[in-house]
Amino acid sequence: MEFDLFLRYGPALLTGFGVTILCWLVGSFGGLVLGFVLACLYRYGPAPLRWVIYAYVEVIRGTPFMIQLFILYYGGPHFGLLLSPIQAGILSFIVYGSPYFSEIFRSGFNAVPHGQVEAARCVGLSEGRILRRIILPQMLVPITAPLTNFFIILTKETAILSVVTVPELLYETQTMAAETFTFVEPFLVLSLFYWLMVIGTSWVGAKAEARVTRHLRKA
Amino acid sequence: MDETPKDQPIIRISGLCKYFDDFEALRDITLDVNRSEVLCLIGPSGSGKSTLLRCLNFLEAYDGGEVYLEGDLIGWRSAREAPRRPLSSEKLRRQRQHIGMVFQQFNLWPHMTALENVAEALMHVKGLSKSEATTKARAALAKVNLSDKEKNYPANLSGGQQQRVAIARAIAMEPSVMLFDEPTSALDPELVGEVLSVMKEMANEGMTMVVVTHEMGFAAHVADRVAFLEEGRLVACSPPSEIFGREPDDPRVRAFLKTYRERNVV
Repeated sequence: MEFDLFLRYGPALLTGFGVTILCWLVGSFGGLVLGFVLACLYRYGPAPLRWVIYAYVEVIRGTPFMIQLFILYYGGPHFGLLLSPIQAGILSFIVYGSPYFSEIFRSGFNAVPHGQVEAARCVGLSEGRILRRIILPQMLVPITAPLTNFFIILTKETAILSVVTVPELLYETQTMAAETFTFVEPFLVLSLFYWLMVIGTSWVGAKAEARVTRHLRKA
Repeated sequence: MDETPKDQPIIRISGLCKYFDDFEALRDITLDVNRSEVLCLIGPSGSGKSTLLRCLNFLEAYDGGEVYLEGDLIGWRSAREAPRRPLSSEKLRRQRQHIGMVFQQFNLWPHMTALENVAEALMHVKGLSKSEATTKARAALAKVNLSDKEKNYPANLSGGQQQRVAIARAIAMEPSVMLFDEPTSALDPELVGEVLSVMKEMANEGMTMVVVTHEMGFAAHVADRVAFLEEGRLVACSPPSEIFGREPDDPRVRAFLKTYRERNVV
């Protein structure tokens, strides 16, 4: 085992880890926000808009992430969309994640008992306030675990960005492996990095779950 | 909303019809509710009692006929249009503030404490400051004897306590009418009394109440009038002494009450 190689490649790997985290955070939260907007439009919007959203969800969920990334990065310039690898990576991450997030939110909407909404209407609360104060806090109870789960899945999907030369963790690791002819050590370290992201995410998820379910604890 | 003269009915229902697809849930209901009156709606399940109640605050959009609260047509812009157009959500919200509602399943917001449940609409509908809303909400909770539970979440309240918080949430808005949709049907028998006694107190204080109930004792002793529905029709509407008398005129009322008599409820 030649772990002293990490003295030379450590900085590159750490930079790669930073790029991975950047793409993951911006891409996931972008997908989360877009997914929420889609779920709201699906719920409150007119029928034609619902069909468009339905089609979008089915198409994006039905195609591999790597293909979407290729189309955006290599196909984009044909439509005047000239993106750097990182820009393409983040944008495709948002597009890829949003339908999954929107489906999680949709199930959350359905989980809130309609009677609570009726009670809110009966005292005259506006639909906007009902969404913010009654529905959203309620739907967080059933959806926090699936949201955490999907954030965890997305940590590892970032590796695909390396195929369009985003200088993220896998890209830097492969460079190191190719230049030094070592394979086991770099990929062990790579796994460690992903694992750190995953346990960090589940820790945050557990905290969030405790927070959104605190009213259910028996006194 | 204009105050109608005190001797006028506060709610006027005329020719009310409601369909669920092909099913005729309400057929040509005409009924007035007077100020400070307690009107109980009874009848077999599926007879349209709850649907009638839910038309009064437009939780169900009725298809034909009219519902007026203090002279205001509920829900629709005009009764004469065809097809009818609903009121703007802003106007409907204003109408609903005058109509309190209590549900069978309480429908408290589980992520808010008892106090927050009551204060929410005071702040965000009536526009009171947080301290004003808190003061009013505490007063409402005191009325239902729950001052000591204001910090509890619904999960830590009994069914009876939850229903009383729900009543407090409605009366805090100072409605001119209160609607109750089987308020004790989801409760354990020993918790029914505490809810009924709060309702009795409200009746004594002159609140106008429309109550869908299977509590024949409450209907017999507290109601001013009892309306009997069957298959979407108003079959009878009379003072309880007539409905619960030994031999009610209408055979359908007789048949319905027979099961209660057999259990010595009335």
